Amino acid sequence: MAIPIKDIKLPEDSPKELLLDKHVEFIKRYGKSDDDYEFGMSDYLRMSGMYWGLTALELVDKLHILPENDVIDFIKRCQDPETGGISACIDHDPHLLYTLSAVQILCMYDRLDAVDASAVVNYVTSLQLPDGSFTGDKWGEVDTRFSFCAVATLALLNRLDAIDVEKAVSFVESCKNFDEGFGSRPFSESHAGMVYCCLGFLSITGRLDIVDRDTLAWWLCERQLPSGGLNGRPEKLPDVCYSWWVLSSLTMLGRLHWISAPALKRFILACQDVETGGFSDRPGDVADPYHTVFGFAALSLLGFDSIKPVNPTFCMPQHVIDKLKIKHQLL
Amino acid sequence: MHGRLKVRTTEEQQLLKRKEQQKKLMAYRLGMKQILESRKQDTYDPKSLAICAQLLMVNPDIYTLWNYRKEVVLLELKADNDESEQLANFLENELKLTEQCLLANPKSYGSWHHRYWVLARHPNSNWQNEFDLCSKYLTMDERNFHCWDYRRLVLNKIGITLGDELKFSTNRININFSNYSSWHYRSTLQALTADCVQDELSLVKSALFTDPMDSSAWFYLRWLLSNSVVTHDHMRDLLDNLNQLLELEPECKWILVAKCWLLKNLQMDEGSYKTEQIASYSKLQEIDSMREGQYVDYLKLLQLD
Repeated sequence: MAIPIKDIKLPEDSPKELLLDKHVEFIKRYGKSDDDYEFGMSDYLRMSGMYWGLTALELVDKLHILPENDVIDFIKRCQDPETGGISACIDHDPHLLYTLSAVQILCMYDRLDAVDASAVVNYVTSLQLPDGSFTGDKWGEVDTRFSFCAVATLALLNRLDAIDVEKAVSFVESCKNFDEGFGSRPFSESHAGMVYCCLGFLSITGRLDIVDRDTLAWWLCERQLPSGGLNGRPEKLPDVCYSWWVLSSLTMLGRLHWISAPALKRFILACQDVETGGFSDRPGDVADPYHTVFGFAALSLLGFDSIKPVNPTFCMPQHVIDKLKIKHQLL
Repeated sequence: MHGRLKVRTTEEQQLLKRKEQQKKLMAYRLGMKQILESRKQDTYDPKSLAICAQLLMVNPDIYTLWNYRKEVVLLELKADNDESEQLANFLENELKLTEQCLLANPKSYGSWHHRYWVLARHPNSNWQNEFDLCSKYLTMDERNFHCWDYRRLVLNKIGITLGDELKFSTNRININFSNYSSWHYRSTLQALTADCVQDELSLVKSALFTDPMDSSAWFYLRWLLSNSVVTHDHMRDLLDNLNQLLELEPECKWILVAKCWLLKNLQMDEGSYKTEQIASYSKLQEIDSMREGQYVDYLKLLQLD
């Protein structure tokens, strides 16, 4: 009953060079396309969409091509005066996911003054439950992704003291599995996205000691498939976004060299759309800003000269983290 | 966008598609506008609620719409103190909506959460029904982690014990050894003790011998071996098995990797295992060159000893 490895074959005519200018154009166009269907229908995640696009631009030193004031003004209008939380878009509800995205953007522009930062801190603090976990908003969904969002937001605002860090750590620790990976809640299967969130959380709280480094790094490096791409769980297809979740995790663990960088580079470059620009999840699929920023960020960790160094914990340009002097642990 | 193939179309098709999309976008914006305008604290507009359902069926990730529905559910629950039929119907409708959304998109966080949230407030929630639903979804996709998580939530409500689930997991693993989710689930069901460890090792062994190229059971094995209830006798026995398997499958990297774990654990009291580990890692460097960096690290450690 041998089961063939789930993977893809890279098309022979796949792009092999980084099409930088096309990607910049892609992001620029995406931000301007109010009548575009994909853009119009994705307002419920706009703040994260902006974070993906703007981070991608800043990583290639092109942040200035979009109007800063419009961005800042939009973020201001998304802060909920009642709770202090920030929404994905005007008229939508505040949520931790978009609160973090907004704070990340503000840090890139060095414009944290544009929102009521202490109200943001209160919002994050209000979402911690007695067991240390965090809900995404007032409606009670618990997930380790939100633990990451909470501590990342507070670290960027230099207010980690506002929550019970010890309890937050013990909740994340309770989500650790037999393979040393992490899932979204206690007993949930390990998933590279949640592994990134939990390692990012532990990096920020300085508690990477709670993972067995080599066992988890083994699980992570086994995500690389013969095509060079990385998947997010065993027996799943490769996807550019996992290039980031897995690679940043390996970087935090000091085990980036446990996968083949040239093979992964080939895979990521093959996911570029030569016509429209942008990256897709796999060769031949539709490109989007989400896969574009994670494609850039992964290439940055692999040491691509034309992309600025990225910080593995925050998925933000390293120089921003340096300037703000944000403390975090890397092994 | 995950897994959406880019399709080549003619200019005419594109024009038509764009028109269609403009119509949908307009409908979406009108719908959102109507809902948000009618969203008040103390009352709700049934027409907006119906539009909201339509929008969610197209895209269950619009989180604000689920929030709006929760506000409405709370209003209904507050208005109704005597558990009337009207309330039952209303809540049933919410559950039906989440089921439809999940059929279209079984990985939508918002739909799963809304379902659980409604049931947790339902005066007569039928948890058995939820359990059956889980089984149905697991048949459709046995790797859907939302569904596994939901199953675990529901268990407690209908008195299914972890022992029952252990049998269920043995069954699933026997049907398909390469289902990583089942192995993960199994690891959460019992503490490893001297009593059960032999059974666990046997289960893993039968999986490894059925298909040594499949990765799932190897991850489970590493976990078993990290536990102190596994004795040196167990490990020596397993090492013999792996050596036999290696004769049948000399190019299988998993066998070599696992051999190295065993050799490392055993060498504590028997010093002669080092050369064999070095040989295995050197071979791994060759046959699994993508992960060469890992094997080089282990070789360096061995040479330092």
